Amino acid sequence: MKTTIIANTRIQGDYFKLVFSSPEMAERAAAGQFTHIRIDNRQDRILRRPFSIHDTDAASGTVTVVYKVVGRGTAALSGLAAGTGIDAMGPLGRAYTPPEPGVLPVAVAGGYGAAAMFMLTRKQPGILLMGARSAADVILTDRYRDAGYEVRVATNDGSLGKKGFVTDLIPDLLAENPGRKFFFYGCGPHPMLTALAKLLRARGLDGELSVDHVMCCGVGACFACVVKVNDPESPDGWRYARSCSEGPVFPLADVYTE
Amino acid sequence: MVDLTAKLGKLTLKNPVMTASGTFGYGREYHQFFDIARLGAVVVKGIRLTPSHGNPTPRVCEVTGGMLNAIGLQGPGVDKFLHDEHYLPFLRTTGATVIVNIWGTSIDEYGEVAARLDAEKAGIAALEINISCPNVKAGGAAFGTDLKLAAEVVRTVRKRTTLPLVTKLSPNVTHIADFARAAEAEGSDAVSLINTLGAMVIDIEKRRPVLANRCGGLSGPAVKPVAVKMVYETSKAVKIPVIGMGGISCGADAVEFLLAGAKAVAVGTANFVEPTVSLEIIDFIAGYMERHGFRTVDELSGALEG
Repeated sequence: MKTTIIANTRIQGDYFKLVFSSPEMAERAAAGQFTHIRIDNRQDRILRRPFSIHDTDAASGTVTVVYKVVGRGTAALSGLAAGTGIDAMGPLGRAYTPPEPGVLPVAVAGGYGAAAMFMLTRKQPGILLMGARSAADVILTDRYRDAGYEVRVATNDGSLGKKGFVTDLIPDLLAENPGRKFFFYGCGPHPMLTALAKLLRARGLDGELSVDHVMCCGVGACFACVVKVNDPESPDGWRYARSCSEGPVFPLADVYTE
Repeated sequence: MVDLTAKLGKLTLKNPVMTASGTFGYGREYHQFFDIARLGAVVVKGIRLTPSHGNPTPRVCEVTGGMLNAIGLQGPGVDKFLHDEHYLPFLRTTGATVIVNIWGTSIDEYGEVAARLDAEKAGIAALEINISCPNVKAGGAAFGTDLKLAAEVVRTVRKRTTLPLVTKLSPNVTHIADFARAAEAEGSDAVSLINTLGAMVIDIEKRRPVLANRCGGLSGPAVKPVAVKMVYETSKAVKIPVIGMGGISCGADAVEFLLAGAKAVAVGTANFVEPTVSLEIIDFIAGYMERHGFRTVDELSGALEG
């Protein structure tokens, strides 16, 4: 769908916020879904790039994406000014299940994974566990706080919050809330998600994780972006699922860990 | 008013634009964007006898003017394809013209898959034989690059089905027309070309191939001139119809293939960029035919001056 960029601004370091007009997407999108954007200012590079939908505003019909410049596609995107036309498909993919009443939602983010879970804050208050390499990669924590979430931070280098991995924040959280019913949401790099899945299973906790891989078509046609998921019906116990259409959000039970 | 009907031997399509196998899933994935029955044909992702995982990831890599893929023919297997609601039963409800791409790791498997599909062929218009997958029994060579094996696959499949057969040719050979002639001699009703070109991309920092499979197939606009030449040469070499594909991204690209001698075309990588691109291509071809005074696709096919 052809639309127009309303804003495309740096929020911090290599992180940018893109706002574009799309009343239909703004109406339908839920946390965990993505938009597939054609970036036309790239010399002879044609494939779309998927971005988590960070936030929407149904009243103004706008969609917000928060992205980090990591390669050619995102570098090209960061160069597009407000008023430029872009082509954005979506919302695509499976969304997170909204937290049930009475449950404490815990969003576990690695880096810009924090962008994908923000719309969960529209339900009851919860907790964001934010993990990053260093303080420069801790993003969006003010937005989560403003939306009523408690925020706890872990950085690998100890430059902000607890020194270590984001999963290191979980034991304390559980100890402080005995008898509380939790539901965990995860989005971040694969090693973080694997560690999270293992920890949740070991503690008998449940949740949903967003697991994806390099995408191409974004709609389930090309089978490029597959991730291993548990499948009792497969002779090997697993199968490759398309993260774009069968995910990117998968129930914890499906998330494959070696 | 122009007549867009494409006649491919025993197979008649409502227009000459189909989707290339592997780029359009099983039809369902794009039916949410438009009515896939409007296409000349939907060519589904390759089907073999048993389910297959496909290759490890990364499976794709973008390059200038296109992409590499090494998906590895992940698929549900013929039983699930025939009976699971997501596959053929769904396609039957759409009224789309369906061509089933088939493959195997042995010649027997090709024949068996063809026979299984033939036995429940309601809703299947034709089979496309994919002869560019690894041949484990012959020690890793590809059926599509060995003239004798290619002929044997077509001969075997021909014996097991009365459905029209399209043989999809690999461009990774010295003379693709030889393979087209072999397919024709063994009873193939049409040939389709080109499949992807063997290719490799290396990450110099990691000093590793980008694709988990090390090598893959190049597709997209970059391969189009190569494909046009192969279609041009092949359509002169055989009497059976040629289906042209390779990097078609717009209507003008499709017309090039038709002028080069193709009787129909297939759209591949461009589907990933623009899901409805095939519809735009159909409209463009109609407009082109009108502007240039072609009444039928057959008149346009091969109408190259000089």
